[in-house]
Amino acid sequence: MDLTYAPEDRAFREQCRAWLEANVPRHDLMTLDERRAWHRKLYEAGYVGMLWPKEYGGWGATPMQQAIVQDEMARAGAPPAINGLGIGFIGPTIIVHGTEWQKRRYLQKMLTAEEIWCQLYSEPNAGSDLASLRTRAEDQGDHFVVNGQKIWTSSGPIADWGILLARTDPGVPKHKGISCLLLHMRQPGVEVRPLKQITGHSLFSEVFMTNARAEKRDLLGKPGQGWEIAQTTLGYERGANSLGRVTRYAISFTQLVRAAKDLRRGGRPLLQDPVVRAKMGKLYAELEVQRYAALRVLSALDKGEAPGPFSSVTKLSYTEFEKRFYETALEILGPYGELMSATADYEEVDTSSGEPGTWATAFLWSRAGTIYSGSSEIQKNIIGERVLGLPKEVRADRLRA
Amino acid sequence: MDFSFSSDQQLLRNAARSFLDEHMTPATARTLWEDPRGESEAIWKEMAQLGWLGLSLPEAHGGSGLGMVETAIVLEELGRTACPAAYWPTMLAATAIAEAGSDAQRHRWLPAVASGEVRASVALLDAELDWHPGATATRAERTSDGYALTGAKRYVPWAHVANVLLVPARAPEGLTMFLVEAAAPGLTLSSAPVMDPGMRWVDVTLDRVRVSADAVVGREGAAEASMLALIRRGAVGAAAEMLGAARRCLDMAVAYAKVREQFGQPIGSFQAIRHTCADMYLDVENSHSAVYYAAWALDARADDHEVAASVAKSYVGDAARRVCGEAIQVHGGIGFTWEYDLHVYFKRAKALEVMYGDGDFHRELVLRAVS
Ligand SMILES: Cc1cc2nc3c(=O)[nH]c(=O)nc-3n(C[C@H](O)[C@H](O)[C@H](O)COP(=O)(O)OP(=O)(O)OC[C@H]3O[C@@H](n4cnc5c(N)ncnc54)[C@H](O)[C@@H]3O)c2cc1C
Repeated sequence: MDLTYAPEDRAFREQCRAWLEANVPRHDLMTLDERRAWHRKLYEAGYVGMLWPKEYGGWGATPMQQAIVQDEMARAGAPPAINGLGIGFIGPTIIVHGTEWQKRRYLQKMLTAEEIWCQLYSEPNAGSDLASLRTRAEDQGDHFVVNGQKIWTSSGPIADWGILLARTDPGVPKHKGISCLLLHMRQPGVEVRPLKQITGHSLFSEVFMTNARAEKRDLLGKPGQGWEIAQTTLGYERGANSLGRVTRYAISFTQLVRAAKDLRRGGRPLLQDPVVRAKMGKLYAELEVQRYAALRVLSALDKGEAPGPFSSVTKLSYTEFEKRFYETALEILGPYGELMSATADYEEVDTSSGEPGTWATAFLWSRAGTIYSGSSEIQKNIIGERVLGLPKEVRADRLRA
Repeated sequence: MDFSFSSDQQLLRNAARSFLDEHMTPATARTLWEDPRGESEAIWKEMAQLGWLGLSLPEAHGGSGLGMVETAIVLEELGRTACPAAYWPTMLAATAIAEAGSDAQRHRWLPAVASGEVRASVALLDAELDWHPGATATRAERTSDGYALTGAKRYVPWAHVANVLLVPARAPEGLTMFLVEAAAPGLTLSSAPVMDPGMRWVDVTLDRVRVSADAVVGREGAAEASMLALIRRGAVGAAAEMLGAARRCLDMAVAYAKVREQFGQPIGSFQAIRHTCADMYLDVENSHSAVYYAAWALDARADDHEVAASVAKSYVGDAARRVCGEAIQVHGGIGFTWEYDLHVYFKRAKALEVMYGDGDFHRELVLRAVS
């Protein structure tokens, strides 16, 4: 056991920090074009697509280096890269399951954010029970015709392409009849309607597919292999970003300390109130434990160990922590925690989406993490069944199957 | 960066586990509860043989020169069997002597600790039950050839089997640490029965106990920092032991949830039970990260080693109490019986939660360091 950073990792961190100091934009990025330009710059510096193999435009870096970049970006308050779903999960899925043609066609443009991707999985009646999805894709010889509805599609309004799960064979048990297609979003049969989130923003959407067309060459893997492929995607989704996230919490905590020194109650700074102190001490202790746990996961990844079902533990741990973190912060901040636009600078914090916001927006965002990518309840089912080996629950669909 | 155990550390863990599984069965522990001393001379000698008693002591004094990570590995296994033994207080006192003691003190005590001839303890708590070193009320008055100590030390673990006690007291020069031998006139012990039958706490009264000037450990008047350092080290060790107790309870709960049937199915198939087990697992794994991070940080003298110790103690204290308690819940009625072993670990975790600074104490230290 040795938790010191290797000399080359320390050197890499220095280098990354210097680059960010010189390059982080000084003003907020307002338009998609501005964000694309920043993304491109990050990519060319080697900070996007770090884990991707070099032959597909990636950098062949280590998980540790990737974590260091995320960590330094959080520290520097750098705007996040875009196309996160594409680069984090969809691209790697194509690398594993895609044809050579698909790899050549899609990967490079995904990395540079020339084409933005979204994930078309959830449906109004298929959320946690994703395999019950009903969107249909009918084989028409050289292409598929897609009909159905997706929902909660992040980046839907700006996406050029989507990774789609659709039923191609209704005659077999639900997990077996699903295929995975790459769907062009900019076509007449695809309609995207933004949905407003509790934060007031519209980052996710509904997607209606009416006789939409997906080419045969855009079938990922084999027909009926969609469920298995979806498991790879979800596998990449869980437990990726580790240190950067914790650093963001730590920066928020520093803001909280500043607020608690500035704000007064009962004639003294909040920071001198023993009740506040107890809450804050506990919060920081928990935050540190998240950091230690992140280092533990990172050290395993760096040695080439697959996180497997343990990534459910990581996801459950930090998403539940994030809720407690902002709940406690808002309790301490009182009315200042309710503000949706910042007047003092300690009212400004980064949300878990990586976008700047206020305590209130961060608090609202913290409700999302325990729902998406497999809710906390689903993670606990996975931990119970696959890590602890507890018996599976008796479920109506399993009885029918 | 490598968060996993080295192969030597893994071997140590395996050896500790198999030794304790064989020699510290729940039945053995229960016999020791009834024993007046409460511990086993034979096991202590075996611990010396296995090298546990000198694990972190300098090689020059009969130790192995290893660190807190290795010590935590052993402590976790001791917690896993709720082993009744004066191990941790002895190691703490010995570490204080190794770090701050004079050559004579090191020669006198360290080889004897490593070989299992003597036991020791640390008397960190005064009558006010406040872990802050500043609250130490025991006085050390100057005499012609040394000091005379007067005061009441509370809940000194395993003091009744200790040959020597490390006693902080207020000397004219300021807070100072003394070595007080068990046979010293003026020293009275009386046991304070606690919830954990495998743990012994002893009230130690000092009435003009005379010690010579060379009983001072470190510099006179300079013990505040070293006492806090000792509490922090104590905290990391206690966290490791609580982790062991919690892991045992998790294992027992999961095993039981697989076999106990109600309503025609194993209770582990009910989500309420399965999710409870998943939460327990999360608590245990995060506790593992906290304990071994803190242990490593202490060994490496990392910048954040002080915060890490307090984080580990406060976090694992809460987590272990939750996990051991939930294990009782998962078991239902059988978990509430004296004969079933769960309460043994529950009580061990609970006893250690309040030692070497409780959660509130350490959370305050954490906040002080970062605000
Ligand atoms: C901000 C955000 C972004 C998202 N982005 C995308 C995206 O880009 N693409 C995409 O496809 N989807 C996306 N989602 C959708 C997300 O994956 C689903 O919301 C999630 O899978 C839960 O499905 P559901 O909303 O239908 O809730 P349901 O599945 O109906 O769940 C409702 C409640 O029931 C519980 N529950 C369900 N099944 C079980 C069970 N077996 N045991 C115990 N409890 C259970 C759940 O935990 C939850 O508490 C996003 C969601 C959010 C909030």
